[in-house]
Amino acid sequence: MRLKGLFLSDMRFQAKYGFYFLYAFLTVIYIAVLFALPETWREKAAAIFIFSDPAAMGLFFMGAIVLLEKSQHTPCALAVSPVRAGEYLAAKVGSLTVISLAVAAVLALAAGVGNLHIVLPGTVLSSAVFSLLGMIAATKIASLNQFILWTIPIETACFVPAVLHLFGVTPAWFRHYPANVCMDMISGRIPSAAGILAAAAVTAVLLLYSRKCVLKMWDSMGGSKI
Amino acid sequence: MIQVSNLSFSYTNQPFISGMNFSVAPGEIFGFLGPSGAGKSTLQKILIGMLRSYQGSAMVNGIECRSRTKKFYEEIGVDFEFSTMYEKLTARENLLFFSSLYEKKPRPFRELLERVGLEGDADKRVADYSKGMKSRLNFIKALLHDPVLLCLDEPTSGLDPVGSRVMKDMILEEKAKGKTILLTTHNMQDAAELCDRVAFIVGGRICALDSPHSLILSRGAATVTYTWLENGEQSASCPLGRISSDERLKALIAGNRLQSIHSSEPTLDEIFVEITGRELEYKISDNLKPKFIRNVE
Ligand SMILES: Nc1ncnc2c1ncn2[C@@H]1O[C@H](COP(=O)(O)OP(=O)(O)OP(=O)(O)O)[C@@H](O)[C@H]1O
Ligand SMILES: [Mg+2]
Repeated sequence: MRLKGLFLSDMRFQAKYGFYFLYAFLTVIYIAVLFALPETWREKAAAIFIFSDPAAMGLFFMGAIVLLEKSQHTPCALAVSPVRAGEYLAAKVGSLTVISLAVAAVLALAAGVGNLHIVLPGTVLSSAVFSLLGMIAATKIASLNQFILWTIPIETACFVPAVLHLFGVTPAWFRHYPANVCMDMISGRIPSAAGILAAAAVTAVLLLYSRKCVLKMWDSMGGSKI
Repeated sequence: MIQVSNLSFSYTNQPFISGMNFSVAPGEIFGFLGPSGAGKSTLQKILIGMLRSYQGSAMVNGIECRSRTKKFYEEIGVDFEFSTMYEKLTARENLLFFSSLYEKKPRPFRELLERVGLEGDADKRVADYSKGMKSRLNFIKALLHDPVLLCLDEPTSGLDPVGSRVMKDMILEEKAKGKTILLTTHNMQDAAELCDRVAFIVGGRICALDSPHSLILSRGAATVTYTWLENGEQSASCPLGRISSDERLKALIAGNRLQSIHSSEPTLDEIFVEITGRELEYKISDNLKPKFIRNVE
């Protein structure tokens, strides 16, 4: 099946570029830091680590992956294959989410965070949102420098409110901001229905838009500006 | 298999490809020849649905390229001018991946790899491949899903004579199986050998389209050139069809005095130079300085 082929090849690609190794290494460091911290801080620290690393790194790694692919002209090959943009997206987002999920599970268990049935779906949600944002940015740019420039506002807009939210500094009207909902879930809190709705809506919009971006990237492989 | 009518296209707002009309029958090898930058790759990209903002019509395998869907690609194999492989994956991993994208059962990789002499390097990363190895790998990638239409953009570039012989044989085998093949090349010998018909493209327009054989014939008859000794070496030539009326040649033959004799046909190379040259001149005379050129002549 095509989706399975794409998914497996993405995982192979990530393994070859050392993503798994890097994450294993980072996980060990995070755990070491968690245990060096006072016990009362551990849960909050774990939430920040899970949010920032496996979840948010989707943004960076998606950018890096797509840029690498562009430099090797593989989008040209995919543009003239039966692969659909949706399948391409699903495989990329899915394979990165697998890593996030594994690291998040280890960190949550190590930190003794309860409510894994909320933390893990929260991780999947954040990972998907960030990697879709990464895909959108990556399809629009050509160099790593440009990409980093793009990610700064995205990171700021997602990260700062979420961390403040974790420490309870959020105006009431801003509670349902999707990054805050993600952080709620990652720290094991049950999100409100309105929050879930907002996050789902944002994810759906990102999905549709990033699919459009992928199609546009494939079209631009021919050199057409239209 | 392919019908193109009134095709125009431009990357910018200046006209580029304009007023193209041709069709390609199933089972035909159709060549695109022409100088660098003439629009050969551009035309191929239109025919594989990568450039869809064209005017006119381009039907491929019964589908208008502008409104192709992803299913269109199940039956098309493309070999680009450049490598489109994942550099960190091995050749085998790449083939495995690309073949998994099609519904059809892929052709056995081993056979293809062996055929192009890559069986010993199948587990090497593509990044460590040489230019010619990459060309061969990208070529077999286009064959993996056994498509009915092959688009090959300079497939033999960077190959040694043996590798290029193998690839040409494989192209002819695909034709024998009834596949349609679009072939861009700068090698006129290859074009003359492989193509049923060729289109000369200059400046985005087709300025000659025929079988290599008729093009060569139309350029003039073969000539015979001979040499003999008479105050040093002398040489003369006459058209092959009129040797019986060349009295000097007859006398030389009668006296066994010929030093050498050979016939030569015009080649596609010469036709290329003539057609592209004429076309460029025509453009100048047409657009810029008609009087000047006429006066000089
Ligand atoms: N992506 C693009 N954007 C704008 N112009 C382009 C693009 N690709 C090609 N061109 C222009 O179109 C013209 C034809 O290019 P094309 O690649 O079709 O030539 P070609 O006949 O394949 O040449 P070659 O034999 O060197 O491969 C060139 O003038 C080129 O600059
Ligand atoms: Mg070209």
